[in-house]
Amino acid sequence: MLRLRDATRAEDAVQETFLAALKGGSTFSGRAAERSWLVGILKNKIFDYFRKASRETSFTDLEFYSDEEDGSFVPDGLGKDSWLHDRGPHDWSGPGASLDSEVFWQTFRDCSNKLPKKVGAAFTLREVDDMESREICAMLNVSESNLWVMLHRARMALRRCMEENWFGRKEMPQGKML
Amino acid sequence: MKFLVRKLDNLSVSCREAARLQSAALDRKLTLLERFGLRCHLLLCKWCSRYGRQIEFLRSVAREQAQDDRHAPLPRLSPEARQRIKRRLQSEKE
Repeated sequence: MLRLRDATRAEDAVQETFLAALKGGSTFSGRAAERSWLVGILKNKIFDYFRKASRETSFTDLEFYSDEEDGSFVPDGLGKDSWLHDRGPHDWSGPGASLDSEVFWQTFRDCSNKLPKKVGAAFTLREVDDMESREICAMLNVSESNLWVMLHRARMALRRCMEENWFGRKEMPQGKML
Repeated sequence: MKFLVRKLDNLSVSCREAARLQSAALDRKLTLLERFGLRCHLLLCKWCSRYGRQIEFLRSVAREQAQDDRHAPLPRLSPEARQRIKRRLQSEKE
């Protein structure tokens, strides 16, 4: 659900998992690993969905937030390409404290859900699944340089969203500087 | 001292480039030249040093969220969906 960001799609994936399990049931042996076997199938179904979704998305996802990058730096003149100070990284205080807060995780979910589908998939596969670039490229059908651009912009966008919606809040918890 | 700073500044990359490189460092090994330019820049720029720490922090947050159910109240299958899947499985069996 967290990965597919859509309840109906998550339900479909679960259904397909059980169907596949039913069909492939004869190949399964050993009761102890039943759960991880099912989770394995489910994971593959999710990857299938990513593959399919990435064939359907047009180029627009790749152009995602080109202004995210362009808008964050001084466009020209003195100090060209340095951070614009209202867009640049400010102090994030007390990350340890924030991790205990439910609102923090809610904010993080909201921010990552704002990423376009393909970019969000790339981000999850890389940051959460720790998949190698080459594998992600094959799955999402993009070149490596495109993938790196997508990840870079995803991180920029996510960082700024978190800063604006969480770390920029007045009642910021005090603690060690990040 | 001033001389040193100016020298470093000449060798270093821009903030835009430093941000790109720090992100790239999370996905691939940087070349020697890239590492050098980035290091020089980070010695001078607190903004970019912060940026690097923050995107690494976000990576760890993303990982922790996926691993720990407490951070995401996981929705259960709705009763309707449960029924629907049951029916579908039943019909498949027959």
